[in-house]
Amino acid sequence: MKKKIAAILASAAMCLGLCGCGETSTSSENTPADASNNTSSTADAAGTSGSTSGDASGADWDYIKDKGELVVGITYNMPMNYKDEQGELTGFETEFTNAVCEKLGVKAKFQVIEWNKKEIELKSKNIDVIWNGLTVNEDRKKEMLFSTSYMKNKQVTVVKAENKDQYPDTASMGALTIAFEAGSAGEDIVTGDTALANCKQVKSEAQKDALLEVKSGTADACIVDYTLAKAFTKEGSDYADLAVLENITNSDEEYAIGARLEDTTVIAKINAAMDELANEGKLAEIAKKYDLADALLVGGSSENTSGTASEPVSSVASEAVSSAA
Amino acid sequence: MSFTDIMKSLSDGFSVTLMIFGITLAASLPLGLVFTFGSMSKILPLRWLTKFVVWVVRGTPLMLQIILIFYGPGLLNWDLKFSRLNAVLIAFIINYSCYFSEIYRAGLESIPKGQYEAGQVLGMTKPQIFFRVVLMQVVKRIVPPMGNEIITLVKDTSLARVIAVTELVKAAEDIISHYANIKVYIYIAVFYLAFTALVTWLLHLAEKKLSYYSV
Repeated sequence: MKKKIAAILASAAMCLGLCGCGETSTSSENTPADASNNTSSTADAAGTSGSTSGDASGADWDYIKDKGELVVGITYNMPMNYKDEQGELTGFETEFTNAVCEKLGVKAKFQVIEWNKKEIELKSKNIDVIWNGLTVNEDRKKEMLFSTSYMKNKQVTVVKAENKDQYPDTASMGALTIAFEAGSAGEDIVTGDTALANCKQVKSEAQKDALLEVKSGTADACIVDYTLAKAFTKEGSDYADLAVLENITNSDEEYAIGARLEDTTVIAKINAAMDELANEGKLAEIAKKYDLADALLVGGSSENTSGTASEPVSSVASEAVSSAA
Repeated sequence: MSFTDIMKSLSDGFSVTLMIFGITLAASLPLGLVFTFGSMSKILPLRWLTKFVVWVVRGTPLMLQIILIFYGPGLLNWDLKFSRLNAVLIAFIINYSCYFSEIYRAGLESIPKGQYEAGQVLGMTKPQIFFRVVLMQVVKRIVPPMGNEIITLVKDTSLARVIAVTELVKAAEDIISHYANIKVYIYIAVFYLAFTALVTWLLHLAEKKLSYYSV
């Protein structure tokens, strides 16, 4: 009898515990939505006045400024952020981030993350921005605020060089085993293209792991970013026996920086610093160093920059509205 | 990447592996005993609570616990926050304490009642009986199952990479995916094998030293 009562009490306690968790999680789920509602109403005055929740817009920026460092979520990913032969972090994004942070007056701290946990890293404040060749898409706009797009990208297919003529389009790839990074733009292509509906999917932890799948023959093809594919398969590299195919249609994409939804100030500041760098020609200089000049969207020419310079606020506002909808 | 560069990267990763192993072991050996006292306590609520905790910790994957401890506080907007390594250590220490506590309990319950009675006859107090009579016999009996857990711990440290802590496996993966050098997997296998060989030898020594009754 005693044991029965004990069991009943224990299960009651568990139920209470579970209910408690349920409540807290729903209320925390509400918070970002509230915040995005607030930002949509105050987005026009980005960074000037407080939002309705008493959580003044700019709170996230103050948080970063007080720390004195901007924690940047990255993965090792050539040519964006990677370790050179000496083990030093280098790459286009590394130099770009450092240049922007110098303008912002904070220190850049690079934190390696697992790419498929980037949203949770951002929300739990373990990182402050995602800045690693992050492709802008509608789903991600619900999770984060994007900066001005600074670089063009597209998804490409990588196969072994000896097979490169067999796959003129995605329809010819229907029966293949295709690797892609989990949570990447490549995954959207594979799941969205009806011609690829029957292919075997391999969800890798990182884009470079997808390349490794192809090299080792465990996958027939992989879908990765053009910039990464180009850097990895260049002559003399370990992946030189792979070939890049541009057989995917509708894959035009743009790279931008992602920040938390709660505060538009962080992105406004980053956009301003980016524009300054573009006007100084510094950004084009860095891009040239990593053979990415033709993909750059800001600072290519002077008219171009003035056009994008007026864009940030309106694009932030429209993103905030779309995320609230 | 040259062999020395690879070894340098791998040693950095291995030192993190060793640190997770060492700190977890040092903290969870005594903490496990606390859990054992809880689960064998005469105070019912305490016993239920401990058994509930042990059930939750043993019933969920360690990987999940690491993720929850690291990301949970931030997502719930708590002020409390752990560094990546601390989150890993907390998860490992709690997890291994629970497993150790059950091994300790098995050891304690295997000691015949006569040992306690003999102590009482000699006029020893309860703590004296526990520390001078029972505990040493328990230690002797639980070395083999503890060895099992300890060797599992060596390899479980690789779970730390789910929150991007660069331990040995992650260090190897970073090299492999960049330089397509599959041999690195063999190198880290050697690292693990060498280390478990050392642990196995130490456990063997302990067992030999403790087998003072056999002739």
